[in-house]
Amino acid sequence: MLQVIDLFFDYGSTRILEGIGARIEGGRVLSVVGPNGAGKTTLLKCIVRILKLARGSILIEDRDATCISRRELAKYLGYVPQNMPAKIPMTVFEMVLTGRKPYLSWRPSEQDLWITANILHEMDIQDLAMRDVEQLSGGQAQKVLLARALAQEPRYLLLDEPTSNLDLRHQLEVLDMIATLVKNKGIGAMMAMHDLNLAARFSDTILMLKEGKVFSIGTPSEVITPKNIREVYGVEVAVRRDNGYPHIQALHCVIDHSDSD
Amino acid sequence: MPSVLYDINMLHQRPLKKRLLIVGLTAALLLAPQASSAKEAAVTIKDALGRTVHVPYPVRRIVALNSDVLEIVRTLKAEEYIVGVFSEIVREPEFWGGLAKKPKVGSWRDPDLEAITALAPDVVVAYGRNPGPALEQKANLLGIQVLRLDFYKPNKLEEEVRTLGLLLDRRQEAERFCEWHQRHLKMIQERVTRTSHRPKVYIESYSDYHAAGPGSGGHEMCILAGGSNIADSLSIPFPRITPEWVLDKNPEVIVKAASYGNGFSLKTPAHFNQRRDAILRRPAWHHIPAVISGNVHVMDSAIWTGPRAMIGVGHMVRWFHPAFFSDLNPEALHRTYLETFQGVPYKGIFVSDDFKR
Amino acid sequence: MNANSEILCDSYKKQNWIKKLFLYFVILLLIVAMAVGISIGASGLGPWDVLSSLIKDTGRNHSIVWMLRLPRVIMAAIVGFGLGLAGAVFQAILRNPLASPFTLGIGSGAGFGAVTVILFFGGGFQTYLIASGAFLFSLISAFLILVVAKMKRASSETMILTGIAQMFLFSSLTSLFQYMGTMEQIQEVVFWFFGSLSKAGWREIGLASAMVLIPFPMLLRHAWDFNLLSAGDESALALGVDVSRLRMSSVVAASLMTAGCICFTGVIGFVGLVSPHITRMVIGSDHRFLLPTSGLVGAVVVVAADILGRTLWAPHVIPIGIVTSFIGVPFFFYLLVKRSKEYW
Repeated sequence: MLQVIDLFFDYGSTRILEGIGARIEGGRVLSVVGPNGAGKTTLLKCIVRILKLARGSILIEDRDATCISRRELAKYLGYVPQNMPAKIPMTVFEMVLTGRKPYLSWRPSEQDLWITANILHEMDIQDLAMRDVEQLSGGQAQKVLLARALAQEPRYLLLDEPTSNLDLRHQLEVLDMIATLVKNKGIGAMMAMHDLNLAARFSDTILMLKEGKVFSIGTPSEVITPKNIREVYGVEVAVRRDNGYPHIQALHCVIDHSDSD
Repeated sequence: MPSVLYDINMLHQRPLKKRLLIVGLTAALLLAPQASSAKEAAVTIKDALGRTVHVPYPVRRIVALNSDVLEIVRTLKAEEYIVGVFSEIVREPEFWGGLAKKPKVGSWRDPDLEAITALAPDVVVAYGRNPGPALEQKANLLGIQVLRLDFYKPNKLEEEVRTLGLLLDRRQEAERFCEWHQRHLKMIQERVTRTSHRPKVYIESYSDYHAAGPGSGGHEMCILAGGSNIADSLSIPFPRITPEWVLDKNPEVIVKAASYGNGFSLKTPAHFNQRRDAILRRPAWHHIPAVISGNVHVMDSAIWTGPRAMIGVGHMVRWFHPAFFSDLNPEALHRTYLETFQGVPYKGIFVSDDFKR
Repeated sequence: MNANSEILCDSYKKQNWIKKLFLYFVILLLIVAMAVGISIGASGLGPWDVLSSLIKDTGRNHSIVWMLRLPRVIMAAIVGFGLGLAGAVFQAILRNPLASPFTLGIGSGAGFGAVTVILFFGGGFQTYLIASGAFLFSLISAFLILVVAKMKRASSETMILTGIAQMFLFSSLTSLFQYMGTMEQIQEVVFWFFGSLSKAGWREIGLASAMVLIPFPMLLRHAWDFNLLSAGDESALALGVDVSRLRMSSVVAASLMTAGCICFTGVIGFVGLVSPHITRMVIGSDHRFLLPTSGLVGAVVVVAADILGRTLWAPHVIPIGIVTSFIGVPFFFYLLVKRSKEYW
């Protein structure tokens, strides 16, 4: 279990995150939602230690994550950034192989290569293996980033808006893939999500942030309510139930909450 | 690196200037004073670039842009007419005395036209090629005459001294110097022609492993002193060469130029000797005849080209042809030059000691 | 699926094998270039004379080979290796194709150090005094980059801007000092900026190779980290790389290398920039292969440039720094136009 306890983060003198608490369990998906600037991405980056927390603690299997070396941490946490940085001079295979970095010293072992190749197959992107990373489409790139994180053989995946640049089909494909992985491998996933409907459909738990604080946490049905969304997003919505998942339809903005975008 | 490019240009100005002279410029004096409606007279002369320049006669306000022209003005006993000098003069206060206190007009490579204008000179004297033609472009707008004279090559020196002597109305002084210069140069030349041996000489310019090739003052001096420059078939004034090439050429004498500020202020030859020893120690050069015999010398830039080149040649002939010139005393020549023509006491160190094993 | 995975693994291994092959090819090329280098010289000693002089003491020829030609060629190889490697490291940690020892101002720092010594301590212009000055100031300029990087975050943009800024600073200081210098000093400075291999002896080779070969294993050990860095700081951090520390220590190591090379030879431009690019175009950017190969390509370039500089216009020597740029730039243009894909 990965626990986030009373986490604070400041950017300069601006408080970004304030007293966040959450837990991610194996085989479960936690989605972090909230309007732009609520601190979703920041929370993820704090957990993988790209950013340094001001206060609070992160426990991984009851071990204090700050006492674990970066390399060790990378065996627990796989991070999938929002975008593929431009111009990476690597092939897909090489890129995914870098996910084995926490395990290898100089020469990748047969096992490292094997794991890499298998992941490419599992994700059905083996045909891209010898292609250059920068030739990939948005959906392919997202899969490659996910594949790299999986090559780390992590217990937890942290995904920063995995569907943000994708078309409808790829959104579903990627999220299905994540859901399958979580179920089959018992990985715990934490996703920053924009699309509330997708979040509601693919998550076990939803954490709703407002201005750096936890506004609401619980099952999708508990969190995705017209009241919460009015408070956090400043939007009037209607919530229907669709195959057991809450589904929202935006109606109009709430006038006196014009500051949230 | 823009700065470096800039300076490469500056460096090449000097050899260029020298090459141009060899190409055959003449500082011929053409016309007598012209008639003019005012009382003021003027002369028209040809300068080092072969251009005709109109100058008021006699010149009474002169700006000297380099040390060579300043030395000649002093030889002509016309210091009183100097109204402005190049700024680098402050490095050698001992040698220049009162002249170092004259108004400064900026670097000899990049003079300040505004400062020059303020001095209202009759003429500004500069080297043939340095500073560049931009000097005239600006000076002409301001109504200032620029005269280009080089004073660097022993064979042309007298002509240019006479030109300046005429302008300054110091013809007698000019003649006196020219007669002295001619007498000694001729003596050296005559004896050199009587010797058939032309020792092979490696002349090295200031930087290590850069020869003095054709077009450089060092080369001219070597020829005058009856040496055979091993670099005479090269095509540029300061070619970079390999140590192996020098070794292959087997020079019998090695002469290197050096400047440590000014030899005039030196009290010991330590700097020169140090440099000479460094040459003697160069890897694999112990096979070179000059190094084996210790015939390796370092010479100060004060007597290396310029008005005092003849003294440098005097040293060279003693190194090249010791048997023929045992009676020649270049130090005595230098003493005469400094005491009689420059009006300063004879002092300083200008060459390394002879090497004794 | 297993059979397919095997095919994937095999094609990856094959690619690595090709990279290794290229590495061996460049080693061979270097050996050939060095052999040509010591077989050519003004005194006309041919390959056989050189070979016999290498083994038995034949007086003059022995001196020419052991004291003039070998040091020259070996120094060229070491300096080329150091600059090529340092360039690859700078480009990796700054994730910028324009990074090189000279574009970062480390070369200008060295130049300024040399000029300072030539101007203010210049009695005999002893090689070692100038080398120390160049060395000291190239480290100072590397240190400046680090200080600014530490104050802001060690981002690559900060470092590059600092580098460019101090390149201008040191260049203008150099110009100022040159402006103040005598003819002799100016000539010395100008020729320093041309680069020269004539002054390299065995002792200089010893020092330079120490400066190059000691940081080399440390840099090579971080090859995977450099690979990760090319996908961005955040990815690298998430994969266990301490990015700031890596960047700092690599700048120090690569600067030491640069300083150790150019302090004895003066400016040999363009090698540090172009060697990593040439190498990357051929074998891609797995730094396990890129780092050593880029160094070796640099060595070949400098040895070859020295041979050309000594022979094209013999007995005139075209200064090494001029030849590397003169040949390197058109060749580089050719590669830029010719390349099939964006490799950076």
